[in-house]
Amino acid sequence: MMKIEAIIQPSRFESVKDALLEIGIDGMTVTEVRGHGRQKGHTEVYRGREYTVDLLPKIKLELVLPDSLVNRAVETILKSAKTGKIGDGKIFLSRIEEAIRIRNEERGESAL
Amino acid sequence: MEEDQVTPLAELGPRVEAQRERIRKLFENGAGARETLRHLCELADNTIKKVFGELLRVRSAPAQGLSLLALGGYGREMLFPYSDLDLLFLFGSEKAEQEFRPLISEFSRTLWDLGFRVSSAGRTVDECKHIDDANAEFHLAMLDRRFLDGDLQLFERLDAKVLSGPEKQARPLLLSELQRLTRDRLNRYGNTIFHLEPNVKEAPGGLRDYHATLWMRQLAGDRRDPRISPLNEDELTRNAVEFLSGIRCFLHYANARNDNTLTYELQAEAAERSLGIDDNLRRNAAEWMRLYFRHARTLNRQMLRYMEQRTVTTLSLRQRLMNAMPGTKVETGDGKAYAVRDGLLGLTDERALADRQLIYGLLAESARLGVPLSREAERGIAYIMTHPEIPQKNTRITWPLLSNILSGDYPSLALRPMHRLGLLIDVLPEFRTIDSLVVRDFYHRYTVDEHSLRAIEHLQDLTGTSDPRGAHFAPLWRTVDRRDLLILSLLLHDVGKGMPVESHVAGSLQALETAADRLKLTSDEKNEIHFLIERHLDMSATVQRRDIFDPSTVSGFAAAVGTQERLQRLCLLTYADIHAVNPEALTPWKSEMLWQLFVATSNHFSRTVDRDRLHVSDEALLLEQVRQQSDHASKAELERFLEGFPRRYLAVHSPEEVALHFALYQKLGEQPVQTELKERKHAFELTLLSADRPALFASLSGALAAWGMNIVKADAFANSAGVVLDTFHFVDLHHTLELNPGERARFQQSIADVVNGSQPLEPLLRGRLAAATAKPPKVALRTSIQFDDDASDHSTLMEVMTQDRPGLLYEVGAALARHGCNIDVALIDTEGQKAIDVFYLTAQGMKLTPQKKELLREVLEGSLG
Repeated sequence: MMKIEAIIQPSRFESVKDALLEIGIDGMTVTEVRGHGRQKGHTEVYRGREYTVDLLPKIKLELVLPDSLVNRAVETILKSAKTGKIGDGKIFLSRIEEAIRIRNEERGESAL
Repeated sequence: MEEDQVTPLAELGPRVEAQRERIRKLFENGAGARETLRHLCELADNTIKKVFGELLRVRSAPAQGLSLLALGGYGREMLFPYSDLDLLFLFGSEKAEQEFRPLISEFSRTLWDLGFRVSSAGRTVDECKHIDDANAEFHLAMLDRRFLDGDLQLFERLDAKVLSGPEKQARPLLLSELQRLTRDRLNRYGNTIFHLEPNVKEAPGGLRDYHATLWMRQLAGDRRDPRISPLNEDELTRNAVEFLSGIRCFLHYANARNDNTLTYELQAEAAERSLGIDDNLRRNAAEWMRLYFRHARTLNRQMLRYMEQRTVTTLSLRQRLMNAMPGTKVETGDGKAYAVRDGLLGLTDERALADRQLIYGLLAESARLGVPLSREAERGIAYIMTHPEIPQKNTRITWPLLSNILSGDYPSLALRPMHRLGLLIDVLPEFRTIDSLVVRDFYHRYTVDEHSLRAIEHLQDLTGTSDPRGAHFAPLWRTVDRRDLLILSLLLHDVGKGMPVESHVAGSLQALETAADRLKLTSDEKNEIHFLIERHLDMSATVQRRDIFDPSTVSGFAAAVGTQERLQRLCLLTYADIHAVNPEALTPWKSEMLWQLFVATSNHFSRTVDRDRLHVSDEALLLEQVRQQSDHASKAELERFLEGFPRRYLAVHSPEEVALHFALYQKLGEQPVQTELKERKHAFELTLLSADRPALFASLSGALAAWGMNIVKADAFANSAGVVLDTFHFVDLHHTLELNPGERARFQQSIADVVNGSQPLEPLLRGRLAAATAKPPKVALRTSIQFDDDASDHSTLMEVMTQDRPGLLYEVGAALARHGCNIDVALIDTEGQKAIDVFYLTAQGMKLTPQKKELLREVLEGSLG
C-alpha cells in the first residue's frame, strides 16, 4: 500500500477529483492548506494597506491505495492537475505499513 | 399494566420484556405519546416496586430510613423507551446509607439485567439541605422528585420540611444556573430551531425547552399573568409536547437507543406514517417537517419568554435609578415616539399598534439603533397579526418603508421578529415558499429560511466583529452602498428552492419579478437585485474553481461584475452566504481567498478605468435605449456625447440617467455649465456638465466645501470631445438644502458661477474652512500617495489616502491645478474618516514625469499631513 499526498492548485481540484473518480478512486481526504515552493507570493495594495500573500492557497489530497493502483492514480493526478505554470504543486509517495477499518477491524488492502 | 403481587425475579425479565414489546406495538398501531409514556412509566414504577419489595423481603429488612425517588424526566412521568431511569436513594442517616449499600447494589444490578438504564445517586437528608453552586444541577433535577417506594415519612420530611426553606431561598441561584445551562445548550445548537436534522430533545425548540420552561415557572412560583399566557397557549404547548414526544418515542424505537436526532431518513419515514397527525392528509417529508418546526417554535418561544421575564440580574444603583426614569424617547422624523428601556425598544402607546406604518417604523428604528424589540411590543404585534377583526390601517408596506428596515446597521434585529410574527411573509409573500423548508443537502445545516436570515445576521455581526474571518469584510459592510438592495437580495436569493422549478436561481428571479412589481422598485433597483441573485454563486465558484492569481481570471470576473459598487455587494453576499451554510463552512482559507479575489478585482477596476473607454460603434443597443429615453434625439449628436467616456460611466449610470445627462449636454450651448441636483437617501447627488477648463475639479469641490457640504464619493469623467461630467455625492452637514428647499436653486447657481469663474471661490471658502479645521480628527491617519504608470496607456494613476476633512478635495484639486496637472478621471471615496481618492493625471497631454510626481508627493504630503 502507498500513500499519495498531492498538493494541487485549488482551481484544479474538481478536475482531479472527477478524473480519479473515473478510474474508480472515490475515497480521499481533502485539506485546505497554504504554502509555497518556487511560486512565491506577491503583495496587493488595497486602500493604502499592503496585503502580502506569502503563503498561497492550495489543496492537499491524501489517498492510500493498493500498489496496483498507485501508478495510474499518479498519472491521473499529473494529467488533470497540470497547467504548466509554476505553482501546479507536487506529489509525494510513501509506503504504508498497515490499514485498519475502525468499524469492523478489517486489516490490509481490504480495509481501503 | 398491573403485575401479580408476587413474581420471582427470575420470571420478571421475560414479563417486563413482553410488556415493553406490547407498549411498542401499541405505539406503532397509533397510540399517542402521552399514553405510551404513561405505560412506560407504569412499567418502570411497578418493576421497581417489585424488585425493591422482593429484595427487602429476602433480606427481611424494613424500608425504614430509605426512600426511592424518581427524578428528572422519569420524575415528571415522561419516560421515553430508551431513556435513563433517574433515581435517588434517599437515606435517613449515614448509618442507613451503610446498611442499605449491599441492597442498593443488588437492586441496581437487577434493574440493569431487566433492561433499564439506571442513572442513580444517593444522598442523606442532611446532604440535601444545602443548595449551592456545586450542586445546583442536582437540585434542578430534584424539582421533579416523585416518591416511588420505601420510607414515605422520610420523603415527606424531605419534601415538606427539609427542602421547602432552602429551595425557596435558593430560587435565584437555581434560576440563574438553569439560565446558564439553557444558554449554553442553545449556543451549542446555534440558537436556532431550524436545523435540517434536529435533535428533538436538546436542540432549541426541543423537549428540553419545555422542561426548562416548567422549571422556570416552578422557580418563579408560577405566578401566571393572563396577558403573558393567553388562554390558548397551554393548548398549543400541550399539542407541541405531544407531537415532539411522539417523535422522540419513534426515534428511540427506530434507533433502538437513546438517539434523538431526526435524520433525513427518519423524517421521510415519520411523514410516511403521518406521525403525530390525525387529519388524514398525506404529507411529504418537507411538509411534515414544517409541522415539526411550528411546534418547536411554540416551545422555543415560550421558553425564551420565560428566560427573559425571569432573568435574575443584579442592577447597580445607577441602573435602578435609570430604570425608574421615563423611557429614553427616540423621536423619528415624522414625530412618532418610541422608547428604549432596559435595552429594549417598545412603543410608548400600544394603541399605535393598530397602524401598521408605525409598526414598520418601530422595526426600522430597531434595525437602525441595534436595539431589540421588547417582548411586550412583539406580543402586541403578534396579537394584532392573529386578530384580523381588530381594525388596522396602512397595512400595505411601501418600498421606502421596507427599505428603511433593510438599510439599518442591524437589519436582522427587525427581520427576526418579523419572521417569528409572520410579518415578513406578509411583507414579502415570496418568502413563504422557504418558510421552515428542509432541503436535503450534505453541507447545509439549517432550513432555507434560517440560512437566509442567518446570512443577514452574519453581515450585521461584522459591526465590531472579533472573528478574524470577518475582519477584512467589516469595512465593506460599513461603507456598502444601497444596503437595502443587498439585504433584499439575500432574502430572495434562495426562495426558488421552495418552488417547482429546475434551477432555484430561476425560481428566485421569478419571485423577484412579483416582489419588484408589488413594491414598485425602480428598474435600476430591480436590475441590481437581479444581478445579485443571478450571480450569487459566481464569486464563490470563481474562488474555488479558478486560479484567482491569474490576471485573466480577475479581468473576466471584473467584466462580469461591472462596477466596484456591485463587487462590494456581491462580495458581502458571498461572504454571508457561505458563512450561513454551517458554522464551519467559511474556513479562514476560504475567507482569505474571497478577500484576495475582491482586492484583485477592486484594483483591476481602479487601474483600468482610464484605459477601458467607450466606443459607440460597439454600443448599438445602449444607443437605442438612450435614444428612446431622449425623445429620439439625433444619433450623431448622441454618439458625439458618449464617445470616449470610461466604460465605468455606463456601468454606474442607467440608460435613463445617461439620457438625462445627454439632455444637459444639449443645453451647454445656452449655459456653459449645467447642473442637476437630486436628493438621495443618505446624501445629495450633484451632476455637472461643462467643457473642460483649468482647475474645474478644484473649483467644483471648493464650491461644495464653501457651502459646507461633505463630499463622500465622486466620479469625474471626460469624453473624447473634452466634455467633463462630474458626479458628486455629498452630505449636507448643516441641513441647508434639507431645511430650505428654496436654497437649492441658489446653490446650483452658485456652483455654476464658481465653475464659470464669475464668482471668486476664495472669499466663500475662507470662513468655512477656518471653522471646519478647528476640529481635531478622531483617528489620526498618515497620508499615503502612490503613483502607477502602468494602469493607463496615456496617464499616470495617483492614489491618495488621507484623513478626510472638509475641503480636502479642494486642496488636492487646487494643488494639482497649480502644478499643471489635468484630471482625466477621478474616483473619490471615503471609508469612515479615511479618504481614498484615485486620479488619472496628465501634464501637457503626457504621463507625469518622475520630477513632477516627486513634486506632487512633496506638496501633498506637506499640506495633507
